[in-house]
Amino acid sequence: MFKPRDIIELIADNVKKTRNPFGVPNLLMNRWWKGLDLPAEGDVMLFTGLMYQSVPYIEMTTRHLERYEDSALEDYVRYGRYMPKFLVGLGLALLSSKEEKKKSADMLHSIAKVLAKSKVDFFYSPELDHYSGVLLYDLGDIDGFIRHASFVADTLREKGVKKLITVDPHTTYALKVLYPKHVGETFEVKTYFELINFRGENGTKQVTLHDPCMYGRYLEMSDVPTKVLANMGIECVAVRNSGKFTNCCGGPVESISPKLSKEILHRRAEELKSTGAPVVTMCPICMTHLKKGGVEVEDLSTLINRCA
Amino acid sequence: MALVDLDFPEQLERFGVDTALECFNCGTCAAICPLIHEHFPRKIIRYAQLGAKDRILQESDELWRCLHCGLCTYTCPREADPGELILGLRRYVIAKWRGRADV
Repeated sequence: MFKPRDIIELIADNVKKTRNPFGVPNLLMNRWWKGLDLPAEGDVMLFTGLMYQSVPYIEMTTRHLERYEDSALEDYVRYGRYMPKFLVGLGLALLSSKEEKKKSADMLHSIAKVLAKSKVDFFYSPELDHYSGVLLYDLGDIDGFIRHASFVADTLREKGVKKLITVDPHTTYALKVLYPKHVGETFEVKTYFELINFRGENGTKQVTLHDPCMYGRYLEMSDVPTKVLANMGIECVAVRNSGKFTNCCGGPVESISPKLSKEILHRRAEELKSTGAPVVTMCPICMTHLKKGGVEVEDLSTLINRCA
Repeated sequence: MALVDLDFPEQLERFGVDTALECFNCGTCAAICPLIHEHFPRKIIRYAQLGAKDRILQESDELWRCLHCGLCTYTCPREADPGELILGLRRYVIAKWRGRADV
């Protein structure tokens, strides 16, 4: 187990200086929209919160943390925050896998496509799309969270943005619940799968849905993706522990203890595998993590896009 | 031996937690917690109720094992919001680490 204090101060410092937990410049991290010709202005903004874009970086940093946990090098994490951010950011951007970056961009492309297919008018502005700060909140750095979230909320307010479409459970929870409570800013927030209104099919008949904790319990939204899939002729095979009683994948403690997070992961992975149906989820953190547990998992967005 | 500070649950209100005294230590949270680890979070919530601040600070790293998955909060029969209590204790410990004058 890493010392929580070292990890928290490193992440807090990264968010303060680069506006995301990895110390990577947002410009390098957020490139999925290039070449898509999405409207740059409008009433409703697609707000990704940079979570899908984080997948290649999470994948790489946790692989390194795994190597150093409980080793003599563990204590050196604390010095990470004294490294110049441009160096760390550039290094991470160059080292992270191109294939992973393409996969995470594909998921966001799928989301944009299914929204267009559902005739939802939306715009996208990379300058307004920021990380929500939710990890700082989860780690207990409430001051850091409020500081960062205020910046994000101010940026949106200045441009008159009031309606947002989110794509992942953590950003959705932050904007729906935490921003009004801690920053005093209320947005009209919908997640993309609430807006899908077409039917289709792609030959898939059954899947097992892994409910992320935030959608299943905190936001009580599990029935929405189940209905969307039913409209595509896809049945959700029940898994032990789902909906309000869904089991965590272990992802949230990955930065503090990869070992502990693997213990939790293996239990959930076994539950999911036991249904025999392909696994689908709608959280980039769960998806990256479940794959490490040997679960073949697809994101809801790409599955729906294949039905469009 | 541990020193206790019975005003601590009240002090925790500054860290967003006002339910510490609702808990009657039934252990449902520890039973449902995916960590299955030494009566977590029940034990540390008991420390908070008693105001055993030294113990909380000594064992503070344990707080960051929590997944923030919400199962304990969802099943707590007293609606004592154990998950939020753990978050509040994290905020308290961070304030201590950062040397905030009012804690």
